[in-house]
Amino acid sequence: MGDGSASGNRSSSNKPEWLQQYDLIGKIGEGTYGLVFLARIKSQTNRGKSIAIKKFKQSKDGDGVSPTAIREIMLLREITHENVVKLVNVHINHTDMSLYLAFDYAEHDLYEIIRHHRDKVNHSINQYTVKSLLWQLLNGLNYLHSNWIIHRDLKPSNILVMGDGEEHGVVKIADFGLARIYQAPLKPLSENGVVVTIWYRAPELLLGAKHYTSAVDMWAVGCIFAELLTLKPLFQGAEVKATPNPFQLDQLDKIFKVLGHPTLDKWPSLANLPHWQQDVQHIQGHKYDNTSLSNVVHLSPKSPAFDLLSKMLEYDPRKRITAAQALEHEYFKMEPQPGRNALVPCQPGETFVNYPTRPVDTTTDFEGTTNLQPPQPVSSGAVSGNMPGGHMSSRSNPRPMNVVGMQRMPHQAMQAYNLASQAGMGPGMNPGGIPMQRGVPQAHQQQQLRRKDQMGMPGYPPQQKSRRL
Amino acid sequence: MGSSGNSISLSSLLCEEGEGSFLEDDENTSIDSLYNNNPSFVLDDEEEEEYIEYLLKQETGFGSQRTHHVLSSDHDHHHDCSNRFWLKSARLDAIHWIFNTQAKFGFKVHTAYLSVTYFDQFLSKRSIDESKPWAIQLLSVACLSLAAKMEEQNVPPLSEYPIEERRFESKVIKNMELLILATLEWKMGSPTPFHYLHYFMSKLCPGSRPETIITKATEHIVAMVKDINLMDQRPSIIASAAVLAAFDATLTRNAMDHMISAISSWGNIESGHVFSCYNLIQEKKRNKVKTPSSNLMSNHSGSTCVVENSFDTSSGTKRKLAFDDNEHCPRQKLHQP
Repeated sequence: MGDGSASGNRSSSNKPEWLQQYDLIGKIGEGTYGLVFLARIKSQTNRGKSIAIKKFKQSKDGDGVSPTAIREIMLLREITHENVVKLVNVHINHTDMSLYLAFDYAEHDLYEIIRHHRDKVNHSINQYTVKSLLWQLLNGLNYLHSNWIIHRDLKPSNILVMGDGEEHGVVKIADFGLARIYQAPLKPLSENGVVVTIWYRAPELLLGAKHYTSAVDMWAVGCIFAELLTLKPLFQGAEVKATPNPFQLDQLDKIFKVLGHPTLDKWPSLANLPHWQQDVQHIQGHKYDNTSLSNVVHLSPKSPAFDLLSKMLEYDPRKRITAAQALEHEYFKMEPQPGRNALVPCQPGETFVNYPTRPVDTTTDFEGTTNLQPPQPVSSGAVSGNMPGGHMSSRSNPRPMNVVGMQRMPHQAMQAYNLASQAGMGPGMNPGGIPMQRGVPQAHQQQQLRRKDQMGMPGYPPQQKSRRL
Repeated sequence: MGSSGNSISLSSLLCEEGEGSFLEDDENTSIDSLYNNNPSFVLDDEEEEEYIEYLLKQETGFGSQRTHHVLSSDHDHHHDCSNRFWLKSARLDAIHWIFNTQAKFGFKVHTAYLSVTYFDQFLSKRSIDESKPWAIQLLSVACLSLAAKMEEQNVPPLSEYPIEERRFESKVIKNMELLILATLEWKMGSPTPFHYLHYFMSKLCPGSRPETIITKATEHIVAMVKDINLMDQRPSIIASAAVLAAFDATLTRNAMDHMISAISSWGNIESGHVFSCYNLIQEKKRNKVKTPSSNLMSNHSGSTCVVENSFDTSSGTKRKLAFDDNEHCPRQKLHQP
């Protein structure tokens, strides 16, 4: 690959030492906390290995190191689990004292997988894949909860899935920017301009609970489970935009419509929740009695899948199923059994879907500024015309985050990347020798998948004991 | 959620506290600042037991894990002595500043305590010498601002930290924060005695008024900060000794052993450490009028005087801080392995 990074055209002496161990490929995400880049390791040992590098937005000097960065790094350094994203390195750039986190790169995420099925494939995700994704998500979550870590921001775009390679189809929980150890204080989720989607938020939080538990993550898993089944967000409430921490009546209403109205019978501590007390007229006024969850998710009320889902969506957080209990649920013991490669079913004859790879903006360098090089008029012109690096996050985009907390690039932008990579395919059009993700012939990928298919993944799922540090 | 059954929020108990002062010269700190009214997690008894087990496991790096060095080697013995003396008083100044600033900002006492933990941990890995008194001040500011970011809901900008003699540019404080984070390998969530107070109170002195015990125990813990290097004693030991001292000032070793044996999750803790810590608290109460930096701990095994340990340069693991007055940031490699 040589010195094939996008910034490799610049004199490498300007590059800080830590950066010289990577070939920068391009930007893959942008969000509240900063930028995410795709890079490859240069060193002999892991040559070519893909790494996602998250650059924290430079905090004002006046604030020092950002609390989010401190918490995320602190947590990530302590945890090691197959189903949790792996922090490979922390780099400090000495010139501007900015922080970079290097993660193992994951090609897919549930947001993209669901969208691909909904918009492109036009059929639901097969049962094996849904079950394997869910099982691995619960397995990672059980590990976090056993270590007293609550994620607090689970949603499809934060659930990564590994692409082609040894870990193909393995789920990785990502984005710990809002996660915390139990003892730490909680900030309102909307503080500091952090955008957190409300669709996966547990009812106790929506009702203003002062105390909460790991059950909030299980609610989110229930919502994600339903979304995997139907390809649509389960409770798609309209968010009230106000600070601080406004009351989200519409979101609650969407929940009540599907699950029925919560009652003090079923959820005794409901009476103590601030918004329940304060908003008698609206929340306690409506009555939805006919629960329709089974219709919404197209599951028989007697099926184990439905049983598990309804236990995750239990109103009372004390009664809600835990990750450890969920892993033992009958649903996972029935055929098809969950496997390690969630994307490729072990059963012969099952179809599998080739998910698109993540779009990469090769025009942006590590500083987050649009790279003026390479100077080829055709490719760079085409790209910057459609896709000026700085404009991405300003689009109104209702779905908040993706990979490690980054705003997903708008769909329109992806076409620009296609264009860019195609333009770069011809000799001489790609002076940096940038590997083209989207240009990889699909046949090659399929071959590899079949090979793995034959090998099978014996003995999975592994022991379901909760691991502790 | 919090009201039903036997669930206890670690903080809800502590919110309705009255006033109590933690430092002799500081009248304004209320128990409210210990836990504020932060939303918190609810643990039932079984969960609390598990949580305590988890915390105990996290305590590695404290106390018995550390090797206690004898005095340093001969060749720069003289220098060490003077530097140790200097550091000892610099540490006291730092603690004084940290707790005053904590009160000024209305931070929890826990936050101040945590920043002293960072301070001691940092100096167990890197050394600062007499010629750089400002470095201690910079370290104090950065430790407190880091602890505030971990524990507080509202964190003031760096420029608002009141530093008397020398103003540090925010950029300089930020660099120091990064140096601390890298030196401590980002392990900023170490347990403190405050995490154990509720648990030990319910185990060791059931039936007592929790408010009284917590207030007194908190005073004891804060008073001990000056005398022991926080790296030298496990937080659970400090917490249990403080709770026991708050409960009964006249315990014998046997009585204490008996009480401690009731705590199952603790395993085979050396109760000797608890007892010597307990004795230190009693001594301090008796000597309250005297200088707080008195060398009480040197008589007790298990806990060692701050200065002797923390600034022993004979351990080869410490690196000199390459502080240079002309430079804003120490040129240390901060890369993680």
